[in-house]
Amino acid sequence: MHSVTIAVVKFPGTNSEKDVIRALQAIPDAEPQIVLSREDPALLLDADGVIIPGGLSYGDYVRANAVAMIDDMRDVIREIADSGKPMMGIGNGFQILSEFKILPGSLKPNKTGRFVSKWVYLRVCENPTMFTEGLEGKIVRIPVAHLEGRYQIGKKGLEKLNSSHEVVMKYCDVDGEMTSDANPNGSIENIAAVVNEKENVLGLMPHPERAVRGEVGSNDGLLILENFVRAAEER
Amino acid sequence: MLDDRERDQLTIALGREPTETELHIVSVMWSERRSYKSSKRWFQLFKTDGERVVLGLGGGAGLVDLGDDVILGIALESNNHPFQVNSYGGATSGVAGVISDVISHGCRPIGLMNCLRFGDPRKPKNAENLGDAARGISEFANSVGIPMVGGDLEFDESFERNNLFNVACIGVTESDRIVRGVVSQPGDSLILFGAKTANERLSGPSKYTTPMGSPLTKRILIDTLEQLLEEGFLAGLEDLGGGGLASAGAKLAAKGNIGLNILLERVPLKEEDIEPVDILLSESQDRMLAVVAPQNLESVLRILDENEVPNAVIGWVTDDDMLTIRYYVDEIAKVPVILLLSGFPEPKRYEEYLEERTTSTAWVKEPDDHAEVLLRLLESANITSREWLYSQFDQHIQGNTLVDIGENSGVLELPKGKRVAFTAACNSTWCSLDPFTGAANSAALALRNLVSMGAKPILIADCLNLGNPERPEPYSQFVETARGVGEFSRHFDIPVVTGNVSPYNEADVDGVCLRIKPTPQIIMAGLLPEGRLPLRRSLCTPWANVFLVGETHRELNGTEFQRFQLGRTEGIPPGYQPEAEKRTMNAVLSVIEKGLARSCNNVGRGGLGVALLKMVIRGNYGFRLDLSDVPGTAKKQSAILYSESSARYIVEVTETKQPEFLKVMNQHRAAVCELGLTMAEPTASFGSFVIQREKARKSYENGLRQYMKNL
Repeated sequence: MHSVTIAVVKFPGTNSEKDVIRALQAIPDAEPQIVLSREDPALLLDADGVIIPGGLSYGDYVRANAVAMIDDMRDVIREIADSGKPMMGIGNGFQILSEFKILPGSLKPNKTGRFVSKWVYLRVCENPTMFTEGLEGKIVRIPVAHLEGRYQIGKKGLEKLNSSHEVVMKYCDVDGEMTSDANPNGSIENIAAVVNEKENVLGLMPHPERAVRGEVGSNDGLLILENFVRAAEER
Repeated sequence: MLDDRERDQLTIALGREPTETELHIVSVMWSERRSYKSSKRWFQLFKTDGERVVLGLGGGAGLVDLGDDVILGIALESNNHPFQVNSYGGATSGVAGVISDVISHGCRPIGLMNCLRFGDPRKPKNAENLGDAARGISEFANSVGIPMVGGDLEFDESFERNNLFNVACIGVTESDRIVRGVVSQPGDSLILFGAKTANERLSGPSKYTTPMGSPLTKRILIDTLEQLLEEGFLAGLEDLGGGGLASAGAKLAAKGNIGLNILLERVPLKEEDIEPVDILLSESQDRMLAVVAPQNLESVLRILDENEVPNAVIGWVTDDDMLTIRYYVDEIAKVPVILLLSGFPEPKRYEEYLEERTTSTAWVKEPDDHAEVLLRLLESANITSREWLYSQFDQHIQGNTLVDIGENSGVLELPKGKRVAFTAACNSTWCSLDPFTGAANSAALALRNLVSMGAKPILIADCLNLGNPERPEPYSQFVETARGVGEFSRHFDIPVVTGNVSPYNEADVDGVCLRIKPTPQIIMAGLLPEGRLPLRRSLCTPWANVFLVGETHRELNGTEFQRFQLGRTEGIPPGYQPEAEKRTMNAVLSVIEKGLARSCNNVGRGGLGVALLKMVIRGNYGFRLDLSDVPGTAKKQSAILYSESSARYIVEVTETKQPEFLKVMNQHRAAVCELGLTMAEPTASFGSFVIQREKARKSYENGLRQYMKNL
């Protein structure tokens, strides 16, 4: 088996890149490498898969700091999305992908107006995706940590999401019920994760890289990352 | 400002009249906050040495060896005065400052703790302050990417005009990364890097703005330092905090027994037209001062430039043990380093006898409905769940969090499988009634928080928050709390590795002095045995035995029950019992290590009833107990349920492990009694009354939310 290179993009203010790299290092054959947003974005094209980790609020920093650089990065990230290569945006990484219009919908400030950090339960959709192989229909436990994670989308967009099975995970309680108490941020229909139409780009608010060992509370996140690496390898 | 005695001493030491700039520098350096001139003399009460101590009290951060070359760093700071003026800004600058203390010792920051005190939360202003503080801490800490592992929150009217904010940062490093002293040669370069300097002060005249710090700048600074330390490029490092460049320069010079020549005009500025003395004393955040040898200079500057960190070579090392400050062609100050750091004349301070209290509990009215009292205690401000607050702090970033906030301690996994529990405690009510006992028992409370999870305490960090030391009463309170922490550290052989004193927490309102209750904030860390996971407090098996370890005495003065029943607290607070505390500590650590306990809680605020309910609230099981007779002098139901006697734990033990459990208790001569059994139904049955789990959970979880619902 050859090694699978996973580019982990670091924007100014990204703060979860080391966690993602550490989690990937535990997966055989995965070879994670940091790509700084100020480096040549074309470096991303050489990788087998791309992960955009979480960090500071996208809007505050990325826009203010490096508008020109973002344009180049956006073009490359779009190209990767179109190519069918697996790509994942976690937390604010999800926000970046939705701002780039690669994923449908948008992420608004939490309903409470406050940051939320807690373990949540998620119901994985029945429809198979490359990211959730073996987890279809299961309930997983992964932490969230965000200020802007309330998933919103217009009525038509929502209908399309549902009819084409682009919703990948929903917040639920321990028994799998999608209650409003189980919804940490007020997301529409408890949506926590979506894929694009081609199903090669996943955006998710929960942080899989923080649920990779039983000792910390769950290794469900590792299963998602392992799927990601396998998908990157198969391409 | 300097008083006459200090000014005379300065003139004599210099052998000439001080310059204007020198007067400014010295008055900052000799202030209570910078010099600890009233308090330093009492630090000898603390146990400060120990096998594990790599860097002890007085070093800005404490460093403790966990074995296998894993070194834990910890710093604890207060930011009370800025916090009182602006909860949001004070919280932000406090977090920013304490992170710098830890990273400047070569540590990677891996955890934060925050300890907050406010006035009565029923007043909207106080609730609003808490909301603003939560936002400030959460925005900064979450953005920089450091998990919150614990903290403390207490409400009392005495904090109404003096909200307190103490904050700790935990870091980890290896011995070859520690920036120990300064090893340098005359001529080595002095580099200032990080944020640019603005006309900012943490406190002082209003012509200065308050430094806020930026999480993005801090993040970049942490990453850049990591790179510089990895390469071993820095011969000395100091962060710029209170007292700015002057203080950092003096500390850096003292560490290396060197002198420094500083050219102020080279300091990168954020704004024009800053007076030289203000450049020197600016307290802008996120700045570092480093000594670099000539062969590394080019590489250091390149790394700083690559990371877009503003930097400048602002001077060089000299061999004259003087801090020399120049501004263009003028030499505006030249002061011996030692004079700045410890040349002040010790001020005279006066103690007085503190008010005598009584042990009488004649005020107690035996409640008719204990279930109702317990539910009310569970939702009372100082007992209720802090989830509203801590859910706003990122607790899982970095992926090392084994136990979230909300248990007895937060637990992190450090490199090489070192598992460390962290807790913060201080009961200012006890401390106001008896500062010595209150301080020692606050530390004992922290100890039990660690022990109940199976962690052996290894270090103390303390922050003594008090009133004006120039007045006899608060000065006596200071001395007594220091004595309490000191005696505790010696009794239990746990070193105090870092600390802070925050004086002057009082305000004159319409001629009345509103002074805080003495608040010796204790933070303690404990190490779990190799390979062991921390024990939790929720009951986890049906039909197991519930044991009470320790003696319950009729100690109801200064308790939450007294506050509930009387609306105030008075009398002599629960006694400090080091011998009993040691016996129960060793017994409980031993049964946990031997795997004989299924769950464990310690008894603290609110007493036995509250501690028992906390074992039910978040779990799946209940219990059926008989509390009519327990070891100790408590006989009436109220004393058994609500006494806050120290040295007590509740342990869940399965039937088969019982004989061995009792044997260990016996070996350690720990008082123990069986209270009853756990049950499959989630109901807390105390014999004469019953509380449903859902009811208890609702009270416990509603407590803080009810005050914060409008925010």
